[in-house]
Amino acid sequence: MKKFLLVSFAAALLYAPQPSHAAQSWDLIGEEIVRFDAQVVDLLCELIGDCPENCGGGQRQLGLVNAEGKLIPVFKNAVPFAGAVVELLDFCGKTVTADGLFSTNRGTTIFSLQFVREAPSGKWRKSNRFLRKWAETNGVEVNSNAAKTWFRNDPRIKALIAKDGKLGLGPGVLPAE
Amino acid sequence: MKSLFATLAGAMIALTLGAGPAAARVTVTGEVIDSWCYLTEIMYPLGSAHHQCAIWCAAGGIPVGILDDDGQVYIVLKIEGDSNSVANPTVLDIQSHRVTVEGDAFERDGITYLTIDRVINDEGIVNLTADEYGIQPFGE
Repeated sequence: MKKFLLVSFAAALLYAPQPSHAAQSWDLIGEEIVRFDAQVVDLLCELIGDCPENCGGGQRQLGLVNAEGKLIPVFKNAVPFAGAVVELLDFCGKTVTADGLFSTNRGTTIFSLQFVREAPSGKWRKSNRFLRKWAETNGVEVNSNAAKTWFRNDPRIKALIAKDGKLGLGPGVLPAE
Repeated sequence: MKSLFATLAGAMIALTLGAGPAAARVTVTGEVIDSWCYLTEIMYPLGSAHHQCAIWCAAGGIPVGILDDDGQVYIVLKIEGDSNSVANPTVLDIQSHRVTVEGDAFERDGITYLTIDRVINDEGIVNLTADEYGIQPFGE
């Protein structure tokens, strides 16, 4: 009986659906779903040799250098209207497995990160840590509506929109009917 | 004297490390853009129609670019001595504006990066696209 249960358990593990860490399509122009290993770098450090500690501590754009030495800037995470620096900063200088989307348009290829883990076998992370950080900074729960629509509730953004309006042409200026 | 020594030492370290591509001195005139929306064409990405979204994306830490009159996109990594390129307040203030800037451009693997020494001219928002495209992306 014990052997039967053990075999059944092993079979269940083998055939059960695995947690999905594969990137989903966003229907971007020139889109390609990709997974690759690469080193996390500070773009300015990589380009001009200006290399502060810890990739600039979250103040600088980060990129990935793949096995062929290609520098891939990471433009986006999995949170609406947010970038990927928070998602990659913990891995500064390390090799990660990045899962996401290449998008090629106008001769330029950029990368949007959906999942990341330290290579070769670290724990997968969804690239949504931005929300947690934003919620902590702004004193709200990460699952709150305020956090989910962070871009409408961010104090810096609200101040800018109050000053310049949604069109940037002055407060209250709206499109012509 | 100390600062001269530090500069020379820094230059020697950079040369030793063989850091990056050669810089090209440039003066760029164009629109400050939300680079992700522009390059993915996920919505109409320019001018006043997209200004609010461009502010959201810049504040969210997506790289900001400058689209020049020839269609070249420059990804901004530094502005006026400030290497903060994640939600930089100076960049947020000129989002969607037509500007002329002076700095160094670096091309690597098909992308052109820009470190801006100085903003020479800021014309404000001159690309008045909202009358045609409304407010992107949600129309509000």
